[in-house]
Amino acid sequence: MSYCVHCGVELDRTEVSCPLCNTPVNNPNQPIDINGKLPYPTLKGQVDPVKRGDSAILLTVVLLSTAVACGALNLLVFKQGLWSLYIIGLCALLWVFFIPVLIYSRLSIYLTILFDWAAVALYCWIIYYQFPVNHWFLRLAVPIISLLTAFVLIFTFAIRYFKTSILSTAFLVFAEIAGLGVGLEIFIRMFLNQKIHITWSAVVLVCCIIIDGMLFTILKRTRLREEVRRRMHI
Amino acid sequence: MLNEKYKTNKPRKDRQVWYKLDLSANVYPTLQRKNFSSVFRLSCLLKEEVRPDILQEALDRTIHRFPSFHVAIRKGLFWRYLEPNRNPGPFVMPDIINPCMPMPFKSKHQHLIRIYYYDRRIALEIFHSVADGGGGMFFLKTLIAVYLRLLGHEIPDTFGVLDINEPPHREELEDAYLRYASSKIRLPRSQQKAYQVSGTKEQFHTLNIICGVIPTDKILAAAKRYKVSLTEYLNAVLIYSLLEKQKSDGNFRLKPVTLAIPVSLRKYFPSMTLRNFIAMIYPTVDPRYGDYTFEEIVDQVHFYMRYHLNAKYMNASISTNMSATRNLFVRIVPLFIKDFILKRYYMRIGDKQASAGLTNLGPQSVPEEMKEHIERFDVLMGQPFSAKTNCAVISFGNVLTVNFASSIVETDVEMVFFRKLISDGIPVKIESNRNMEVL
Ligand SMILES: [Zn+2]
Repeated sequence: MSYCVHCGVELDRTEVSCPLCNTPVNNPNQPIDINGKLPYPTLKGQVDPVKRGDSAILLTVVLLSTAVACGALNLLVFKQGLWSLYIIGLCALLWVFFIPVLIYSRLSIYLTILFDWAAVALYCWIIYYQFPVNHWFLRLAVPIISLLTAFVLIFTFAIRYFKTSILSTAFLVFAEIAGLGVGLEIFIRMFLNQKIHITWSAVVLVCCIIIDGMLFTILKRTRLREEVRRRMHI
Repeated sequence: MLNEKYKTNKPRKDRQVWYKLDLSANVYPTLQRKNFSSVFRLSCLLKEEVRPDILQEALDRTIHRFPSFHVAIRKGLFWRYLEPNRNPGPFVMPDIINPCMPMPFKSKHQHLIRIYYYDRRIALEIFHSVADGGGGMFFLKTLIAVYLRLLGHEIPDTFGVLDINEPPHREELEDAYLRYASSKIRLPRSQQKAYQVSGTKEQFHTLNIICGVIPTDKILAAAKRYKVSLTEYLNAVLIYSLLEKQKSDGNFRLKPVTLAIPVSLRKYFPSMTLRNFIAMIYPTVDPRYGDYTFEEIVDQVHFYMRYHLNAKYMNASISTNMSATRNLFVRIVPLFIKDFILKRYYMRIGDKQASAGLTNLGPQSVPEEMKEHIERFDVLMGQPFSAKTNCAVISFGNVLTVNFASSIVETDVEMVFFRKLISDGIPVKIESNRNMEVL
């Protein structure tokens, strides 16, 4: 029998050091039993995988049949215009959005966002295909969707890789609102072939800068941050 | 609550049988996360190596006697419920180093119990909505009795071993809370925030176990010297360890040290239920009053327990909780909103009101013929919801085991706990899955 010289507890014959205090076992009369049966197994367990198959199949079937039915109706019964394309596009859009939730959950979140970007762009293109005015798809839709996607990506990255509090998240959100406002106005003016300057988004920008300035000060000063947390906690 | 009468023990048309979750069972699925389930483990160390094929056979025979353990959990619009599980299994598995793993509700077979074997040990893990420790012990003892019978031993159906050839009794499947909650008093809910052990969180999913094996007579003698019961003494030692830990943290503001202690209500309200029937009590020592000596802590715990552990107070406690779940407004709120609110409440208040959990399942009795085959029982409270340590006690004959389960690296609380026992003249043998090479 070996005892921990520090804690006074008896230890298992296989124990190299005391589990309580990590003091190595040193008993000249009884060497550590290296080949003895350990009190606990060494096999590491894994969590059972979750079965999502059923709902994924159900969703796919519902969306696919909706798309096919509308396509058939459009071709055979209600032949005015290609209205079914909107519904088919919408089904495809929904399906892509549900990939991470139902179908393949281990997909990287960034890839998911890029897929969503592609799906929304595709849907816009379907609409553009029906109303091809003034190249609005390339000149307006794609830049706006891309800008939005970029901001979502930045937001996701920040949330995942930095320790964010409510305050720092708010800081990021307001910064992105400002960026989005300015981007939106510039894209619209470019599309309308106007001179590039900002008016309404300037108001948004200033508001956001003021709010972010406040948030930044609060974030930098611990005492102030604690005060705000106390008073504003929900 | 049982929604159809059981008539025979044969495979039946049990499509219609389902169980509402009992009062305690409702909260556990709410806390379910990808990396957390409320799972606890009961295990038994036999004297000979376990034979998995025989164990599986024993399990197949036993499970029919315990329909409330052979279930899957499902979502309704307003509440969850348990439904008979017709998937194959459960199957016995070789034991693992990280017990009480999360139990996803939508796993392949959706069982809410697991059975493991390792060397001489048989372990039963149960999702807490299915049963509490007391109910689980009936299952484990019956399983072991059937296993030993298959090995050719004569074991009678007494002392917690149920007759597997008998149909399940109605009362075993009842929600005993419904039968007994009758108090007109509503207890205040708010409690002070308790001291929280701060430690380095282990990576997912590691459960550190430190098990102390103690001779029951020695620890009983020590408790007697302080003129208190064994549970009171162990509570006092754990509070003492947590107070020491808080002192060594060097925090500017001290907080009260509170234990969350589940109490089996079967002692106070006779029921044969195998499902949950527990209430919580929270003995506390507040270091803001000043430094407490160990004797003073023992007194605090002793008088707290004496004041609270009686049928009237326990009834008030379960009636208070019951009135919340029977409230019409609460009932008509959709499940996902209930989940959201309950989870937030638990994370902000429920989880913070205790510094650690301690459960004592007490001395276990088994049929005389079984005693020679069993060395000891262990109980493990499972993964703590936040970074703390949980402590679970059970005794069999002259072997009492104290199992600490924690998901933090530091062992300060456990170390002070066992050193205190040693200094009170109680010999302790330690076993642990820490410092083990993980394959
Ligand atoms: Zn030691």
